[in-house]
Amino acid sequence: MPRTPPTPPRLRVRGLTRRFGDVEVVTGLDLDLPAGGAVALVGRNGAGKSTVLRCVAAADVPTAGTVELDGEAVDERSPRTRRDMAVVMDDLDFFPDLSVVEHLDLFARAHGVPDAEAVVDAVLHEVRLVPQSAQLPGTLSSGQRRRLALASAFVRPRRLLVLDEPEARLDRPGLAWLVDRLQREKADGLGILLASHDAGLVEAVADSVVDLDRLP
Amino acid sequence: MTLADGAPVADLPDRPDPAASRHLRDLRRQVRVWRRGRADTRLVDAISDAYIAVFSTAMLTSMAVSVVVNVRTVAATCTSLACTDGRAALPWLTGLGLVAGTLGAAGLLGPMLVSPAVGSWLLPAPVDRRALLRPRLAGTAAVAFAVAAVVAVAVAALSGFPGSSVLAYGGCVGAACLLAVGVAAAAQARRLRRLGLVTWTLTALVWAGLVALTADAVPAPASAPPTGWAPVLGIVAVLAVGALALAYAGLPRLARDQLAPGGALLPGLSGALAGLDFALVQDVLVARRWRARSTVRPVRGRGVGGAALVWRELARVRRDPRPVVLLAAALVVPYLGGSLGLGRADLLVTAGTGFLAGIGLFSSLRVLSRTPSLVRCLPLTAAAVRSACVSVPAAVVLVWALCAEPGLQAAAGLTPADAAPLAVAVGVTAVTAVVRFVTGRPPDYRLPLVTSPMGAVPTSLYVSAARGFDALLLGSAPLLLAPSATGAAISLALDGIVLAVLLNRA
Repeated sequence: MPRTPPTPPRLRVRGLTRRFGDVEVVTGLDLDLPAGGAVALVGRNGAGKSTVLRCVAAADVPTAGTVELDGEAVDERSPRTRRDMAVVMDDLDFFPDLSVVEHLDLFARAHGVPDAEAVVDAVLHEVRLVPQSAQLPGTLSSGQRRRLALASAFVRPRRLLVLDEPEARLDRPGLAWLVDRLQREKADGLGILLASHDAGLVEAVADSVVDLDRLP
Repeated sequence: MTLADGAPVADLPDRPDPAASRHLRDLRRQVRVWRRGRADTRLVDAISDAYIAVFSTAMLTSMAVSVVVNVRTVAATCTSLACTDGRAALPWLTGLGLVAGTLGAAGLLGPMLVSPAVGSWLLPAPVDRRALLRPRLAGTAAVAFAVAAVVAVAVAALSGFPGSSVLAYGGCVGAACLLAVGVAAAAQARRLRRLGLVTWTLTALVWAGLVALTADAVPAPASAPPTGWAPVLGIVAVLAVGALALAYAGLPRLARDQLAPGGALLPGLSGALAGLDFALVQDVLVARRWRARSTVRPVRGRGVGGAALVWRELARVRRDPRPVVLLAAALVVPYLGGSLGLGRADLLVTAGTGFLAGIGLFSSLRVLSRTPSLVRCLPLTAAAVRSACVSVPAAVVLVWALCAEPGLQAAAGLTPADAAPLAVAVGVTAVTAVVRFVTGRPPDYRLPLVTSPMGAVPTSLYVSAARGFDALLLGSAPLLLAPSATGAAISLALDGIVLAVLLNRA
């Protein structure tokens, strides 16, 4: 019986090191994330959680180490990386003159989503932003902006979700929705890498936890 | 709303409470003592800085005097009808333009405002609001007068006014801007919202004056009133004092919701200006305008991939046609250059006008340039995203340049065969300059710093100020040196290289 080659993990990180001047924020991090799995990064403020996520999303260049998505090195300039990896971090800004629904519509269409309108409407409903759909992002509350940022990740195709403290500024029902949504994403075969301070979210979603405070 | 004992909660005293005034004076004195205690400049440093300032002022003044003398010599040779008409109309148009600009700035900032810190710490305290705001009113009025007077004096000196009327004219325009500040502050206290209409009316008058001058439709007015500028100065000064008195009387009526927005805007603007990042200034103003609008009627997109971005640009132009209107209004400039006999310099002036008036069209490219996280959300290369965002605004600017072609032809004495490619080159140069302007990066303080009297300055700070203008000069140089199809081809080639670098860089 012929042996099939082993499937690479959805995300593979090897020897990830990031140094700022003399300060080494992350040292030699190894991480494997299978399809349908979720890994949570935890640790105190400044432990390097966001730095790891930025390196994984290729928004920052590691001092050493490699990051692979489905066996290929991630490259922020590559449309393939952008197509496969949905990233929600704190630095997401919006077009000041596009409404909530228009942002999601633009992202969905740019990603070639068939029936973009229906997908956008469903996600808008899910994140409870239907009443704000005509609003411009500058007038949204911080929690609503957070939900819009999360919605932008769910209206487009994706193989890996990278989320930096996705629970931040969400109310209790919003947090419950997030847990449910991420569990469904896992069931659909997506990989999830998240950094979080919320023990409940980590426990409900993550299959494994990397405590950056305890790394050598 | 009243307290339980019937006392009003909001303090709107007609007469300031002397005790409250004393209290505020004490507070100010205390703040001054704290600041002095933390001063980090020694007397010898201050003297050194003063020496540099005096030396620089003397040097710049001598250069300015030299320029004025030269320009006045050239102006004396201006004898054509269009040229003398232009000189005659200049003081009126400049004055109206400065008053409109003052009113616009006053409406944008308040004009009465308080810093966020004062808004958080002093406005909620029971201090006399008139005493708190009086220095701000005086400072705003002084700045408005000084800036307007200096600009007016410069214009008068450069356009060959007789020496005796230069100062009177400058004072007159300064007083008119003082009047504008007084009226704006008084209107703010009384929550009158018609000031915007007055501003736009004045702006439209200036534009109509330029059009009339271009078309030679009406004879230009005399360059000064029959009585001379001095009596006008007296009348405008009296009106300005009256308006400022009205504004002063209204200071206690100003509520926090009227004072805070201008103060919230100011740190962003001053931060951007400190970094000479004019694109960031534009960002702050655009964001404020859209926040004020709050909601829009959503329009669903069309197409997929890059086509969706292009379609969104079309929808954006339809949603806010003001940048297109501004560009259309600016079409008067190339034709005015022809009337004033600018010659081939009209090519540079037209490209510069297209650049400055076209910036508003490229807002999505600007947002994507300053926000890499948005580009990360799109499954296209950065070059494809930028090209899609540039397509519609660039087409609008190119059409504008083609509409300017008859003006360019008349101004530079071009043959019809040369005029069309030159107009296209002017348009592409304007687009290149805008793309350079909006895709620029902020000053990088990690780069080597240069010691200056202002402190350590990153080298990229100086580049920030010239951003856009460098591309404009590069693309315009071949047009000025060889205003022909060959010059247009060289200009297009240079613009193409610059655009390719700007759109493709990581």
